[in-house]
Amino acid sequence: MDFDYSEFQSILLSSTKNFLEKEAKGLFREIENTEEGYSPQLWEKIAELGWLGVLFPAEYGGIDGSFVDMVLLIEEMGKALFPGPFVPTMISGLAILKYGQASQKEEILPRMIEGKLILSPCLAEPDHALNESIIEEKVSTRNGDYILSGTRLFAPYAHVSDRLIYSADTVQGKAIFLVDTKSPGVSCNPLDSIGGDKACEVNFNAVEVPESSVLGETGKGEDIIAQMNEWGALAESAYIVGMLEQVLKMSLEHAKEREQFGKKIGSFQAIQHQCANMAMDIDQAKSLTHEAAWKLSENLPSTKEISMAKAWASDAARRVCLMGVKIHGGTGVSEEHDMQLYFRKAKASELAHGDGDRHREIVARQLGL
Amino acid sequence: MDFRFSPEEEKFKEEVRTFFEREAECVSAAKEEWDSGLGYGPNCWNILQKIGGKGWLCPTWPKKYGGLALSYMYRYIIMEQMQYYLNIYSTVGAGMAGPVILSHGSEEQKDQFLLPIARGEIEFALGYSEPQAGSDLAALMIRAEDRGDHFLINGSKLFNTRAHYAQYHWLGARTELTEPKYKGISLFIVDLKTPGITISPIWTVGKTRTNEVFYDNVKVPKEALVGQKNRGFYYILEALDYERISTVSGIERDFMEILEYVKKTGKGKDPVIRQKIANLAIEIESARLLALRVAWMLNNEKIPNYEAGMLKLLVSETEQNFVNTSMQIFGPYGQIRKGSKWAQLNGKYERNYRDSLESLVTRGTSEIMRNVIATRGLGLPRG
Ligand SMILES: Cc1cc2nc3c(=O)[nH]c(=O)nc-3n(C[C@H](O)[C@H](O)[C@H](O)COP(=O)(O)OP(=O)(O)OC[C@H]3O[C@@H](n4cnc5c(N)ncnc54)[C@H](O)[C@@H]3O)c2cc1C
Repeated sequence: MDFDYSEFQSILLSSTKNFLEKEAKGLFREIENTEEGYSPQLWEKIAELGWLGVLFPAEYGGIDGSFVDMVLLIEEMGKALFPGPFVPTMISGLAILKYGQASQKEEILPRMIEGKLILSPCLAEPDHALNESIIEEKVSTRNGDYILSGTRLFAPYAHVSDRLIYSADTVQGKAIFLVDTKSPGVSCNPLDSIGGDKACEVNFNAVEVPESSVLGETGKGEDIIAQMNEWGALAESAYIVGMLEQVLKMSLEHAKEREQFGKKIGSFQAIQHQCANMAMDIDQAKSLTHEAAWKLSENLPSTKEISMAKAWASDAARRVCLMGVKIHGGTGVSEEHDMQLYFRKAKASELAHGDGDRHREIVARQLGL
Repeated sequence: MDFRFSPEEEKFKEEVRTFFEREAECVSAAKEEWDSGLGYGPNCWNILQKIGGKGWLCPTWPKKYGGLALSYMYRYIIMEQMQYYLNIYSTVGAGMAGPVILSHGSEEQKDQFLLPIARGEIEFALGYSEPQAGSDLAALMIRAEDRGDHFLINGSKLFNTRAHYAQYHWLGARTELTEPKYKGISLFIVDLKTPGITISPIWTVGKTRTNEVFYDNVKVPKEALVGQKNRGFYYILEALDYERISTVSGIERDFMEILEYVKKTGKGKDPVIRQKIANLAIEIESARLLALRVAWMLNNEKIPNYEAGMLKLLVSETEQNFVNTSMQIFGPYGQIRKGSKWAQLNGKYERNYRDSLESLVTRGTSEIMRNVIATRGLGLPRG
């Protein structure tokens, strides 16, 4: 049993903290209304720091770290609300590492780790009941190449990505394609969303994709998607944990300072007990996230644990942010205060890669129901 | 980071488990006795003495006092198994009174009490609460007057659970009227057979027996005082600190039973029940992780200050949520008591639902735990 961080992790944590404090203060606000939605200069810097290679082998320029390292790193990003395509790029890169052919790995991973390639998963088809698909879904083949048409939604930062991970149903079943964003027929439109994280509508209009761009085995696409969603769910859980730790910190600072009725509001039990509940909630989300990351690092079965973490973190995100707003009173509702940024971003993270209900259903299945 | 027991710890866990499996007959008789709510009877004493004989009631104590000089993680492992098999995870002597005697008691007290505690031969009733002193323990009023060659004790105690079978009372009494109140409290070990003591039962809604204890001119020898006079409140807090380890192995065991029930009855197809079951699994797992962390902190000589408060809060609220959800899963059948053919799982959860209330209130209520987390853990100003 060991709940301490390794020496490497302690160094990683403190350097990450320092970096984000220096570079990311106010960044979310600055960036939110820009076209890109992230800072290309900082992207280069985090590549230099090795963040993009945490989970990748040294042969591609990575640092061979573990999922626990990654989770600690993402928690710090969450605290700072560090915006950008880190999670989508990482889970796409991991999919290439796990399922890709040697040539795909060599082509993409080193440049991704250097910060030269951004990747985005385009996996969600529009809800058919809404019937608003812009482009009719179609997959055909010509001379062994695929011609893909269709619309995908909520592809994070697809508009600034270099490669898209696109899923489509072929005659042999679901397939995953690695597609260059500059291919003729691809267009990406960022959607204005609550968390400002540039979820895109991606349209494929008869895009020609060579057979060699298929990722993994044709027909095994569902497995790849499920795996990417697991990594994504774990990463979002960590981002949520970080955000919520910051929300609690801000709320405590406010409660220790703000006076009403001649007393610090933090001396009122109504406030104290809510803070205790927030701390409890966050602690639960954090230990579940750490256990899941540790299991994944150790190659132990972790599907259930990841869903436990994301289920709890998703609901905690809502509960804790809501309390954070209430403790701040009117200030918490004002546009000027950072509290509302966390409140908005928490909703986006709650929904990303499955909300609480979705992950509880996975847990139920894992329990044999 | 590592969420595993070490190979030696695993091996030890296996040894403890094998012991309980081998003693199955004795174990199940003791569990049934304990679950009746009456406290220790012959079967409980029997198994406690077997556990004590192995040195497992007080594994962290020095060998000369019946311990094994092992680290805290071993105590945690034993407690997990004890709770799983018996629902009893420690004794008051082993968990609270003993450690205080070990660090503040006289040599005579150590010689008289520690070995019998470690061997499971004696038990203590916690004598803290009174009608006017519950959460606010420092308000306790029972008087212990220093009469030169003895103390004379007068007053009464409320909810002193083990008094009807324990040999000794671990008594907090007022030795001086002071301001602040906590500075005039002392701790005593009182033989419950001393003339002048009357014990009368109080039954909980869970049909567990607790007691009122009346002291009417009870003469107690000077040697009954533990540590220094008027330092009792500090020892009481310290003793609470010793009893910080909790486990969820009992809840996990019952959860598996409910899970099987849900599978067998086909209720597992209902999406509402699937959500409830999954949520319980997550909550229980988060409580288990915190229990492990607190044990690990103790093991590494870190002080689990507010974490222990969190653990008490989380485990008792999780248990409450668990029994409540079980009742919901049974639907209207859940209300039917043991004995009827319509009772589910022999009415066990109808009883557990009633009995689960105790842990929300004892060892510090949930609200008191939140106070502790907020002030000690989060640094919020006291009201
Ligand atoms: C089954 C059972 C067994 C017990 N066994 C023992 C035993 O063996 N030995 C023993 O000494 N005692 C025992 N107790 C007593 C137990 O420790 C007390 O009941 C407990 O400390 C609460 O005290 P109280 O009942 O006086 O409630 P109160 O202290 O009056 O509390 C009533 C309510 O007020 C709240 N409250 C009180 N103070 C605060 C505050 N500062 N801030 C916020 N909320 C507050 C409480 O949370 C609670 O909701 C037992 C009790 C029960 C029910």
